[in-house]
Amino acid sequence: MADVVMPRLSDSMEEGTILQWLKAIGDEVAVGDELVEIETDKANMAYEADVAGTLTEIVAAEGETLPIGAVIARVGDSNEGSGASAAGPVAADTPTVLAAGRGSAPRGSPTATPPAGGGNGHRIKASPLARRIAEERQLDLSQLHGSGPGGRIIKADVEGASSAGDAVAETAAAGPAAEAPSPETAKGQVSYEELSKTQQVIARRMAESKATAPHFYLRASVDMGQAVEGRRKLKALAAEDSVVPSFNDMVVKACALALREHPRANGAYRDGRFELYSRVNVGVAVAAKDALVVPTVFDADRKGLRQIASESRGLAQRVRGGQITPPELSGATFTVSNLGMYGIDGFSAVINPPQAAILAVGAIEERPVVRDGEVTTAHLMQLDLACDHRILYGAPAAEFLARIRALLEEPLSLAL
Amino acid sequence: MATLRMREALRDAMAEEMRRDEAVLVMGEDVGVFQGAFKVTEGLLEEFGERRVRDTPISENTIVGAGVGAAMGGLRPVVELMTVNFALLALDQIVNHAAAIPYMFNGQARVPLVIRMPGGGGHQLGPTHSHSFEALFLQVPGLLVACPSTPADGKALLKTAIRDDNPVIFIEHESLYGVRGEVAEDGEDDVLHFGEAAVRRQGSDVTIVGILKMAHVAEEAARALAHEHGVEAEVIDPRTLRPLDLDTILTSVRKTNRAVIVEEGWPHGGVGANLATLITEQAFDHLDAPVQRVTGADVHMPYARRLEQAAIPHEEHVVQAALAALEGSL
Repeated sequence: MADVVMPRLSDSMEEGTILQWLKAIGDEVAVGDELVEIETDKANMAYEADVAGTLTEIVAAEGETLPIGAVIARVGDSNEGSGASAAGPVAADTPTVLAAGRGSAPRGSPTATPPAGGGNGHRIKASPLARRIAEERQLDLSQLHGSGPGGRIIKADVEGASSAGDAVAETAAAGPAAEAPSPETAKGQVSYEELSKTQQVIARRMAESKATAPHFYLRASVDMGQAVEGRRKLKALAAEDSVVPSFNDMVVKACALALREHPRANGAYRDGRFELYSRVNVGVAVAAKDALVVPTVFDADRKGLRQIASESRGLAQRVRGGQITPPELSGATFTVSNLGMYGIDGFSAVINPPQAAILAVGAIEERPVVRDGEVTTAHLMQLDLACDHRILYGAPAAEFLARIRALLEEPLSLAL
Repeated sequence: MATLRMREALRDAMAEEMRRDEAVLVMGEDVGVFQGAFKVTEGLLEEFGERRVRDTPISENTIVGAGVGAAMGGLRPVVELMTVNFALLALDQIVNHAAAIPYMFNGQARVPLVIRMPGGGGHQLGPTHSHSFEALFLQVPGLLVACPSTPADGKALLKTAIRDDNPVIFIEHESLYGVRGEVAEDGEDDVLHFGEAAVRRQGSDVTIVGILKMAHVAEEAARALAHEHGVEAEVIDPRTLRPLDLDTILTSVRKTNRAVIVEEGWPHGGVGANLATLITEQAFDHLDAPVQRVTGADVHMPYARRLEQAAIPHEEHVVQAALAALEGSL
């Protein structure tokens, strides 16, 4: 009998949520078979069995969140029977239910939903009154969110659920965000949404960044005239379905080349030391459904614009399709965040820790400028570099940003 | 109706009962010539004479013992102890005699005795003069316990206590002697049955039970909850702890689903601890949050003014407890 434990599926993963068991108790499992779908802090992944045998016990029910290393199932020899230790011979061919102690949580249905109220295999916390009302109205406490102290389900939660009627079950099934409306307050009705794993990570890491990394900001205006002209020509020359690099791809490439020349910008302040990386991997912030993820363009300094362009498109598509994998989301040494497509002139970004800096890219706008005493127009783009002053200081950061500007103002240099 | 201070209402209760019943007498330290340490027996010596208004030596066990004997012999003594603390010296007479005798003699001997005593802190009287011992007396079977918070209740309950055939511990709060209120006048026969709680304020969100001075603090907190938090608290003053009008409290808790109990006494084994248990036993399925208690600090009463104030519950503590009971519901 072998224990299957919660695997580490990304470098920042601390716990995982069982989304769906892909094998049932009694199923034969071969090494490499997809056993269970797990939600990590970054993505949803199917986890493949690394032992062969019969799935004899599912310890972690769907919806449960467990830390890395916690037993989630047991795979045994086919002849071992199930629950041999506790259940005895009677249970041998009727493998009973899953983990103990989950009380009334619904089981076994193929669309089993992640419980919001209880979770973690513990007793559901509910006030006596809430229990009584739930029993009278035949509500399943495990489907409710507790807004009382410590997540206790209280009257308001149950009454909200029962006034919403049957819709509750459906909403609950749709995801962990299903909530019971609370009573009227000065702010009107309050509804609550549980954070997805990704949103939890964003909240934790952004707060950690602002709290621990002393940010300072540098701003530069880039004349994108040649880049605009160059891209126009490229578009005209390109074949029907070929990829034309975007301005953002140019920014990524410019950053990569500048990072190669400025090792501190391609590093991290960690545990009292500078970590400097040999590879230049540029993360590109992509807005996903209700979240923000940063897929990585690896070795961007050594890739051509065209390759960067096609990789970026592929990554963004996989993010939006929910198919992005943890390896594609890790390993970045620097981040580019672009809100120019929304018409934003410029903004200050939060560093993606432990990176040394993040570049915020604004829109390209045609604006009046003074050249040789004459007012004329230019295509300007604002860049805002946020730096962690523990590793990247003012003057080197300024040189770094100036280098990015120089590369973008002479885009042919990006082809070198 | 007349507007009287608590001390005047209590005096009127004794005077009216003494006029009504020859068997009623008053005993205690300085209750006669000095007219009471808190001036509650003002005018009684003049009206009723030394035979019925007796100054006693400083010997609490003896005073109460004499009261027990007089009560068994057919009189209706009202014994004043200068503070609740001094009642500890008389615990033998109170517990082993006054409370036990009717039981030991199967009711053939009665002890119609009232023992009045002021308690509570707030006047910098230090650890030996500021106790709140409601819970101590509440624990003893055979004793009735009254703890009025208004002049009207004080007068009506004291009259009832004097007419009752059981020994009554009548606890007054030193801070409330000067509180004014509408009081029924003589002849209106304003007795108030023990075991009838007063609902001081109607509310739907949380039930706050307070006794003695804390009944007032509970009302202040209820006003603050309404004004600052939009919370409608129901405030109940039990008025007597034994017998206790648990029905009124349970009815309220079944409506509001939350309870806060406020007392000045110590937390362990206190009035609130007892009441919280009763509520949990009898209204468990109506509770949406644990019963909250607000009590005096678990220390001997400090002398220093600020420390003393810190050891006594105030409005904000009650507000916080109510909000804690409502956490997640607002």
